Amino acid sequence: MSNGPPRTARDLRRLLLLPLFICSCGEPRGAPGREARSLIIAYGADEFPLTANRDRLGRYPLNAGICEPLVRLTADFSVAPALAARWEPAGNDAVRFVLRPGITFSDGAPLDSRAVAHTLSSSARARTDYSFLSDTSVRVIDDTTFDVRPTRINRRLVDQLVHPTYGIVEPASDPANHPICSGPFRLAEYVAHDHLTVVRNERYRGTAARLDTLVFRFIPDETTRTLALRAGQIDAMVDVGPSNAIALARDPKLRVVTAPPGAVIVMYMNLNGAAPFDQLRDGTLRRAVAMAIDRRTLVERVLGGPHAAMVATVNPPAVLGAFAALVQGVPYSPDAARRALGGRRHALRLIAQTSSIDRATVEFVQAQLSEAGVDVTVEPLDAAAFESRLNSGAFDLDLELPNQNDANPAFLLALRWYSKSNTRSARFTHASARFDALVEAALGAPTDDEARRTAAVAMHQLVDVEVGAVPLAGVSRIYAMRESVRGFVPHPSRLNQDWSTVWIAR
Amino acid sequence: MDRAIGAAAWLARRIGGAVAVWVLISFLAFSLGAFAPGDPAEVMLLRRTGDPPAEADVERLRHELGLDRPFALRYAAWFSAAVRGDFGRSYRTGRPVIGELQARFPATLSLAVAALAVGLVIAIPLAIVSVAARDTVLDHGARLVALAGVSVPSYWLAYVLMLVFAVQLGLLPVSGAGDIRHLVLPALTLGLGSAATVTRLLRASLLEEMSSGYVRTARAKGMSRLPVLVRHALRNALNPVITLSALRFGRLLGEAAIVETVFAWPGIGRWMVESIYDRDYPAIQGFVLYIATVFVFLNFAVDCSYRLLDPRVRVGGPAFGRG
Repeated sequence: MSNGPPRTARDLRRLLLLPLFICSCGEPRGAPGREARSLIIAYGADEFPLTANRDRLGRYPLNAGICEPLVRLTADFSVAPALAARWEPAGNDAVRFVLRPGITFSDGAPLDSRAVAHTLSSSARARTDYSFLSDTSVRVIDDTTFDVRPTRINRRLVDQLVHPTYGIVEPASDPANHPICSGPFRLAEYVAHDHLTVVRNERYRGTAARLDTLVFRFIPDETTRTLALRAGQIDAMVDVGPSNAIALARDPKLRVVTAPPGAVIVMYMNLNGAAPFDQLRDGTLRRAVAMAIDRRTLVERVLGGPHAAMVATVNPPAVLGAFAALVQGVPYSPDAARRALGGRRHALRLIAQTSSIDRATVEFVQAQLSEAGVDVTVEPLDAAAFESRLNSGAFDLDLELPNQNDANPAFLLALRWYSKSNTRSARFTHASARFDALVEAALGAPTDDEARRTAAVAMHQLVDVEVGAVPLAGVSRIYAMRESVRGFVPHPSRLNQDWSTVWIAR
Repeated sequence: MDRAIGAAAWLARRIGGAVAVWVLISFLAFSLGAFAPGDPAEVMLLRRTGDPPAEADVERLRHELGLDRPFALRYAAWFSAAVRGDFGRSYRTGRPVIGELQARFPATLSLAVAALAVGLVIAIPLAIVSVAARDTVLDHGARLVALAGVSVPSYWLAYVLMLVFAVQLGLLPVSGAGDIRHLVLPALTLGLGSAATVTRLLRASLLEEMSSGYVRTARAKGMSRLPVLVRHALRNALNPVITLSALRFGRLLGEAAIVETVFAWPGIGRWMVESIYDRDYPAIQGFVLYIATVFVFLNFAVDCSYRLLDPRVRVGGPAFGRG
C-alpha cells in the first residue's frame, strides 16, 4: 500500500518521457535535407483551386515567375519593356506592340503574336472587364507585331497590361494545371493547398534565375509562418505582420525587409447615402472628420515602424511621381474640427474589413473622432459581410486598404469615386462632376506624364477640395528571410515581386 | 417475444429520432447559409480581380447560381439532392461538395483518430495516478493538468507546442501534411483537450468503483491498491469513457477547424473556415450535414453498444443510463 504512489510516479515519468524519446528520432534542427540552391518561401493560403483563379496557376494571386506579360511594372510604378520590345499608338484607339525577336516558351516553342492573341482573349473572358479587352481585340500583323484594340478607347491599356494575369501562356498548354510560359522559372510541381515548386527556365530570354528551385509553401496562418522561419524549416516568408516583424528583427539569423509603400489605408465616406447614412453629404462635417485625425501619430505610434509612411494620396505617392506634391491632405487640427462642428456631437457608423485593417487603427480613428465630437460606432466585418454592407450604403465611414498593382495612376479614382464606375458602391462614394471630368482626362491622357499630372489634380480635388476621402497612411509589405538569403529586391506590388535575383550565401 | 418487440420498438424510435434530427439540421444549415449577411456572387467576383465587381456581373452570377430563386424552392431542390448524397457544387472551386468532403475527410479522420489516441494515452495513466495517489501532490498535479487542458485555447496551445518542439528542440515540422511527424503536433493540440475531459471523467468513475463492494472484497483478500485499481476497477470504470470517447470523436471532427488552419493541415475543418469566409453556401451546408450525419450515426451506435455491452440496460429495466 505504502509503495503505491512512488511507483505510480515513476510510471508517470516514463510515460511523459516516451513521446520525447520517440520524437528524438526526427531530423536535427536546421538540416532540412535539400539542395542548397533551392529556396523555400512561405506564402499565405492557396487560392489557385478557386473558380475565380482557374487558368491562372502560378500567375495570380501568387506570381511565381513562370509567365511574363508584354510589359512589366517597375518599382516606381512605371511601365518597362518585358516580352514587348516597344509599343506605340496605332491610330486613335489601338496600341501596336512589337515583340522581342527569338523568344521561346520554356519548352522551346516560339512565343509569337498568335500566342499573345490567345492569352489576351482568354484573359478578357476570365476577368471583369476593366481593360475593355474582348476576344477580337488583338489583330496579328506578323509573328512579332500585333495591334491591341479595346472595345472602347482606353489610353491606360499599357499601364494595365503589367498585371500578372496578362502573363503570356503557350496556347497548347493547360493554364489550369501545367502552364508553359517564358518567365525565369518553369512549373515543376503543384500540390493544392501544400506547395508550388518552380525550377529555373534555362531558355529564359533575360538573366537566368540564380537559384535552381523555388518552393512556395502555402501556410495560411501568419504566426505559423513566422515560427516555421524561426525553426529553420523555410528560408523566407511573405506578409509578416508588424508585431511579428519586430520580434523577427531581433533574431540575428534573420532579416526583415520592408518594401516601398504599395497600398494606402483610406477612409472612404458615404457622400451620397440615404438617411440615416446621409450626414457626410455635409462638406463641413467631412472636413471636420479629416481634421480630427492625427495621421502622424497614427503612422509613428499606432502602426509604428518602417512599414508605415505619411501620405496625402489615396494611391502610393510613387504612382503620381513628382505630381504627388499637388495633393497636400487635410492638416490635423482638432481645435478647428471642434469649431467646425459648432459644439454639436455627431454619431457616425464606421465599417472596416478585419482581414486588412487592424483593430488598433480602427480604435485610434474612433478615439480621435470622439475627441473632436464625433461618436463612431465601429463594425469590424469579414470580406463578404463588408462588401454586402458597402453595397447597401449602410455606413458613413469605411476603412480599407486598396493595393496598387498596375501603372494606371487613375485606377483607384476611376474605380471608387467616379460616378460612371461599374462598381456597386460607387453610387454612395462618387464625388462631383468636376472630379469626374478630371478622372476622364486622366484616363484619356495621351502620355504617361500627362496622366500622372491629371490624376494628381483629380486626387487634389477629391482629398483637399471636396474631402471625399481621407488617406491615413501608406503601408508596405514586409518580408522576412534567413540572413543568408541575398539579392532580394522588394517590389511595392507583391504581385510583381521578382524572385529570380535571389540567391543563398554559403 | 415481448422483449424482441420492445427492442424493435426501441430501434424504430431511435432511427425515427435520428432521421428527424438530421432533417432539422439540414433545414437549419440551409437557413443559416441563406440568411447570413454577404453575397457569394459578390465574393466570387471580388476574388477574381481583387477589386469590387460591377453590378451587372454580380446580378448575372447570382442568376447563374440560382440565388435569385425563392428560398423554399431552393431548399426543396437542395434537400432532395442531398438525400441522394449530392450536396451540389462548391461556389469557390466549382467541384462537387461531396467530392471535396471525401478528398479532405481522410486527413481530418486521421487527425481525429490520432487526437483521440493521444487523449486516451494521456488520460488513462493520469486518472490512475490521480486515484492511486488520491489527495497527494501527484493527484493535485494530475487534476491541475486536466483543468489546464480543458481551459487552454487550442490555438495558443498549438503555438506553444510549435515553439517547443519545432523552434527550440527542432524535432518536428511546424506545419503541412506528409509523413507521420507532421501529425504529431496537431494531434497533441487536439488530443490534450480531449485528455483533460477524459481524465476528469475516468477519475470520478474510478473513485466510484473503488468504493464498490467487489473492491473491498479484493482488498480484504490481500490485494494491494494498485493491482485492484488496474485489474478490476479500471475495466468497469472504462464504460462511460468509451461512450464519451465516441461522442468526443464526433466533436473532434468539428473542433479540428482551428487546429487545421494553424497547422495548414488539409482537412475539412480548414476547408470549412475558408468556405464560411467566402459564403460558399453549398460547402457550408454540405459540411454541416456531413458532420451531423457522423454525429447522429455515432450517437446511434453508442446507444446500441451501450445496450449490448451493459447488461443493466435492458428494455423495461430500471430507468438509468440510456435505455
